[in-house]
Amino acid sequence: MNMQSALSNEIFITYVYIAAAMLGSAGLLIGILSVAGKNLSSVWSTYKGWLIMVPLALGTIFLGREAIIIGVALLAIFGFREFARATGLYSDWWMTGIVYLGIAALAVASYIDDPRQGLPGWYGLFMALPAYVVAAIVLVPIIRNQADGQLQRIALAILGFLYFGWMFSHVGFIANTTYAYGYLLFLIFAVEINDIAAFTCGKLFGKHRLRENISPNKTVEGSLGAILVSLVIPFLFSFSFPHLTTWQLILIGLIVGVGGQLGDLVISYIKRDIGIKDMGSAISGHGGILDRIDSLIFVAPILFHIIRWVVGIR
Amino acid sequence: MDQWEYHPPPDLESGLSERLRNFPRQPTMLVYAIRIVTAMLLRGWMRLYHRLSIHGRNNLPDQGSFVLVCNHTSHLDTLSMLCAVPVTRVHRTFPAAATDYFFSSLPRSAISAVVINALPFDRQAKGAQSLSVCGELLKNDGNILIIFPEGTRTTTGELARFRSGIGRLVVGTDLNVVPCFLDGGIRAWPKGTAIPRPRKLKLRIGKPQNYGHLEESRDSVRQICEDLHSHVSELGSES
Repeated sequence: MNMQSALSNEIFITYVYIAAAMLGSAGLLIGILSVAGKNLSSVWSTYKGWLIMVPLALGTIFLGREAIIIGVALLAIFGFREFARATGLYSDWWMTGIVYLGIAALAVASYIDDPRQGLPGWYGLFMALPAYVVAAIVLVPIIRNQADGQLQRIALAILGFLYFGWMFSHVGFIANTTYAYGYLLFLIFAVEINDIAAFTCGKLFGKHRLRENISPNKTVEGSLGAILVSLVIPFLFSFSFPHLTTWQLILIGLIVGVGGQLGDLVISYIKRDIGIKDMGSAISGHGGILDRIDSLIFVAPILFHIIRWVVGIR
Repeated sequence: MDQWEYHPPPDLESGLSERLRNFPRQPTMLVYAIRIVTAMLLRGWMRLYHRLSIHGRNNLPDQGSFVLVCNHTSHLDTLSMLCAVPVTRVHRTFPAAATDYFFSSLPRSAISAVVINALPFDRQAKGAQSLSVCGELLKNDGNILIIFPEGTRTTTGELARFRSGIGRLVVGTDLNVVPCFLDGGIRAWPKGTAIPRPRKLKLRIGKPQNYGHLEESRDSVRQICEDLHSHVSELGSES
């Protein structure tokens, strides 16, 4: 993946057009509705957030493999930082430092060649890193010779590394696969469309609450609607991966539809337990980084490994 | 099972620009890392480009909080003084910087807060309040406050009258005040020019002064200001 291959890649070009069309029509719709007298100020600020994020994501993918791996690592680092600040783990510099280093190591493992096969991305190291990082984290209380309150710290650090670091970094590793453009762009688009579908279906048909103690605004109707939409999306975007069969497309749709919403709920109960509304304020109209990439964290590794088992990644 | 207790920082919900302007700041690893790297680079730059020489470094107290006062001819004053303090103390060195200038935009706030570690000082409306923030800061052991008692950069090179803030801050306390004089700042980076010129800089650090014996009154405040003024101008006339 590099700039030239992006320009000559039909999948990439098609997604750029789709993104432009979606942003354009959404802008037009919001414009018409606000002229019609609806109060849409919160929708506007969310839309403005998209106007920045979409070109940023497409631009990173356009730049190629290195940029994607670095970009994903930065998102993971700043995402984990939000988690660490919200939970209070940020005051423990040893724990957070190890997690930052671990995320950087994941980026290196995604970047360097596999020494045995010579292919880009050292898969074995990427999958083995959690063992070493967890070992380093649980070592800290021993080095400190301290037991009080250490369980909470190592638990938060391990969760932080595994979930926000390792699981999310799979997005970067996907850049090493043969159909990288198709997988990556589909993943990002499908997850976000699933998110929007859940919101829209919930607004239109929502009656029964899905998990009222975690996220009171989510409804069963919204969730089912999103799964339906997500089942259709792989077929609409099937040009991204022409080698997949109908059953495989259905499987992908299910993973995105169900997994995306689960990822959303995970961040919701973490926030609710801590007692905060948003993970941060990094993106205008969207909250923090984790509020935006929540679904991606959950879906990316699961989809990646399913694809790896079913059709292989190279 | 008992609930875990979470301790998020008090500025969790505030946005970036607000967080940069808040004081005291929450220490964060990223900021400390950037600051220590820029402090090293700054030291190299000042040595090479401005051939900065520092005299009387052993006059700086090893322990406890103290105040550095200096003449103010350019931004290089602050930078030179940041080079004079031990590198291990840069995170606890706070140059008082005018809010209306150094925290007026996001990029400026970012540089002021992250690189310079500036203390936002409101020189107009809330002067007394900013002064009490300085007082609180110095009550914690080991902090260094950098103040320019003239209140603004001079355009003539003359040492202007000292404002009363420094006197009000230290009168009747056991805080040490270290007078300094930076020579060459006005030639190297005069007010109104964008880029500093490669002129030589010389920073002289005087003996620490203490005003614990004085009673709190307007007279003693004026006395302190005059005393410090004479110490600083003495350092200036040494060359």
